[in-house]
Amino acid sequence: MRIALLLSAGRHRVSGRPAPVPVELQALRLAADLAQTHGGQSGGTVTGLHAGPEIGPLTDALGHGLGHLVHLRMPAEADPAPALTAALEAGGYDLILAGRSGQGGEDTGLLPYTLARALGRPILADAAALAPGAEAGTLSVEQALGRGARRRLVVRLPALVTVHPAAPAPLPFAFAGLRRGQVEMREAAPSAPAPHEVEERPYRPRPKLIAKAAAGASAAERLKAATVAASGGGKLLVDPAPEEAAREILAHLRALGLIAPR
Amino acid sequence: MSRPRKDPRMERAAHLVPGGARPRFDLAATPATSGRLRRDPRAEERLALVPGTLRRRLDRSQRAPAVSVVAVAAPVEAEAAPRRVVIAEPAFLVALVPDAPGGRLSAHDRQLFGAARLLADAGGGAVLALVDGSSEELGAAGADRVLALPITGYDPEAKALALNAALAALDLRHVLFPESAEGGDLARRLAALSGEPFFAGAESLSPKAVTRAARGRRVEQRRAPPRLLSLAIDAIAPHAGSLHEALPVEFAFPETTGGALLSAEFIPADPARVSLAEADFVVSAGNGVSDLDTFRMLVAALGGTPGASRMLCDAGLMPRAAQVGASGTVLEARGYFALGIAGAPQHLQGVARCEHVIAVNTDLHAAMIERAGLAIVADAQKVMPALLRLLGEEGAP
Ligand SMILES: Cc1cc2nc3c(=O)[nH]c(=O)nc-3n(C[C@H](O)[C@H](O)[C@H](O)COP(=O)(O)OP(=O)(O)OC[C@H]3O[C@@H](n4cnc5c(N)ncnc54)[C@H](O)[C@@H]3O)c2cc1C
Repeated sequence: MRIALLLSAGRHRVSGRPAPVPVELQALRLAADLAQTHGGQSGGTVTGLHAGPEIGPLTDALGHGLGHLVHLRMPAEADPAPALTAALEAGGYDLILAGRSGQGGEDTGLLPYTLARALGRPILADAAALAPGAEAGTLSVEQALGRGARRRLVVRLPALVTVHPAAPAPLPFAFAGLRRGQVEMREAAPSAPAPHEVEERPYRPRPKLIAKAAAGASAAERLKAATVAASGGGKLLVDPAPEEAAREILAHLRALGLIAPR
Repeated sequence: MSRPRKDPRMERAAHLVPGGARPRFDLAATPATSGRLRRDPRAEERLALVPGTLRRRLDRSQRAPAVSVVAVAAPVEAEAAPRRVVIAEPAFLVALVPDAPGGRLSAHDRQLFGAARLLADAGGGAVLALVDGSSEELGAAGADRVLALPITGYDPEAKALALNAALAALDLRHVLFPESAEGGDLARRLAALSGEPFFAGAESLSPKAVTRAARGRRVEQRRAPPRLLSLAIDAIAPHAGSLHEALPVEFAFPETTGGALLSAEFIPADPARVSLAEADFVVSAGNGVSDLDTFRMLVAALGGTPGASRMLCDAGLMPRAAQVGASGTVLEARGYFALGIAGAPQHLQGVARCEHVIAVNTDLHAAMIERAGLAIVADAQKVMPALLRLLGEEGAP
C-alpha cells in the first residue's frame, strides 16, 4: 500500500515560528500504523510531500517516523495545487492523507478538496482512525464527530482522507529517524500564482457573541442567560443520609438526561 | 415632561371626610382618581415571594399571575406578535445550508440564519434554506423559501452535487455554511466542484465585507462577501423579531449515482474511551476521595468519563490524562460530577464551560459547592457506595 502524506509549512501556534502542523504529524502516525499492519506482501510505504519554497523544519516529520520526504520547490506565491496533482498522479498512491487545515498559511482547508477534484478521487473528512476494510482495496475510516461519537465509513481506494485532531498523538520524535530519513528535492513546473483578492491586516480578535436570551425577553431572562453557566444557584443538601443523597443525585442526573432513564 | 403637576391643596381636599363641624381628613384612604396609579411595594413583594423555599426568595419576573392590588387603569398591551414578513419578488437569493442534526436547528444554524438575513435584507433579497427534511422552525428562524435536498443517509458528495446544481440553476448570490465538521466539509466540496471563490470561517460579516483569521491567527483577511462562505460559531447573532413565510420551492435535481462510499455507520461515544476534551459527562475525584476502586466502579456504572483534580494526578493515583483544570484539560462537557474536590480556581477554570455541576464535599464552604447546581455536603466515601447500591437495585429487576 502506497500512502502519500501532504505536509504544509506551518507556524507554531504560540511562538509563530515555522513548525510542522501537529495534525499532520498525527496523520503521519495513522499512515505509519496502517502501512505496518496493512503493508501486505510489498510492505507499505509512506511518502511525505511538500510544495513550497523551503522545506525548513518539516524535516522534523522524518524524526516522527516518515522515511521519505519529497520537496517540490516552487516560489512562495505560486499555487501548489498543479504541482501536487502532478506528483500525486505520477506516484500512483492508494491513499493520500492530509491535515484538516493548515496553520500559518491561508488556513482554509480547501487544498485537499481541490486535489481530490483534480485527481478524481473521493475525499473523506476528519478521520480519527484508519483500518483496512473487510474487502480488499477498501479502507475503513473512523470519522470523528462531536463529543466523542464516531462514524465508521468504508471507502474504496484510492481515496483522499483528511485527519482530525482527535486522532492518536504523533509518534515520539527520534533523532535517529531524522538522520536516517531522506529528503528528495524536485523543481516543480512553474505555475501561475494563486489569485489573491483579499486585503490583509494585522489580526484583531473580535468579541464573541455571549449567550443571549431571545430579543424581547425579560430582564430576568437576560440575566439568567448571561450568568447561568457561571453560577450554580441550585439545590443544597446539608448532611443528608447517603441513600437520600444518592437518590437526589440520580434523579438530578436523569432530569438532565446525563444518564439513561430507568 | 408629561407628568401632571402636583397640587397639594387639591390632594388634601380629596381626603376630606364630609360632615362634622370641623374639617376632617382621612389620609389613609386611597384618593379616588388622580389619574396616576399608586404602587404598593409590600403587595408587590408578597406577590413576588416564591413559596416553599427556606430562604426568602423574590421572583420579580412576574411569570406568576401578576394580580396587582390596585386595578390597572390602562389595559395591558397584548404580547406583540412577531411581525410577519413576506418577500414576494426577491431581488436575489441568499442560500444557506444548516447542519440541523436530527432535523433540529442548532445554535450555530440559527446564527447562520442571522447572517443570511443580514446579507438578504440589505438589498431586498430572500433567504433560501436548503435542508434535508423540512421542519416548522424555519419560518421563525428567518427562511423565506425552503428547498428540500434529495439526500438520504450520510452522503456528502451527493449533497454537494445537488447543491452545485442548485447553485448554477437558481442563480444564488451567496451560499452560507456553518464552519462545523459537516458544514465545513460540504462547503469545501462545493467550492472544489464549482470553482467559485470560497471564504472559510468568517468571523465578522456585513454586506460590504467579511473577515477571517489566517496565517495562524496573525493576519485578518478581508474582502467583499464572495459566493461561498462558511461562518465561524458565535460570530453573528441569530435572527429574531420577524416571522418569515418559509415557502417550499420546487427544483428538479439531477439524478446522482452512488459514490465511492460503500457504507456509513454511526458509532455512539464510548464514555470509558473518549478523551476528556470530547467527553459529555465527566465524573471526577479529588483529594477527598480515598477509595478509588469504588470511584472507578461508580464511573463505569454511571457511564461517565473519569477525571481527577491535580492532587490525585500528582500523587499518581489517577493518570495525568485525567487531570481537569488549567494545566490539565478544559472540559466541554455538559455535566460534571465532582467528588471531594475543593474547587481551586485552577480547577474551576477547567469546568467553566460545563453547564451542570454536581458536587459532593464535606466542606459547606468549598468553592465547588458554591459552583454546583446540586451540592451535597456529605462524605464522598459513604455517598459512592450508596450510589452504586441504588444503581444496582435499579438494574436488578
Ligand atoms: C500553576 C498551578 C496549576 C494548577 N493546575 C491545576 C489543574 O489543572 N487542575 C487541578 O485540579 N488543580 C490544579 N492546581 C492545583 C489546585 O490549586 C489545587 O491544589 C487542587 O485542585 C486541589 O485539589 P483537590 O480539590 O482535589 O484537593 P484539596 O484542596 O485537598 O481538597 C479536597 C476537598 O475534599 C473535601 N473532602 C475531604 N474529605 C472528604 C470526604 N470524605 N468526602 C467528601 N469530601 C471530602 C475537602 O473538604 C476539600 O474540599 C494547580 C495549581 C497550580 C499552582
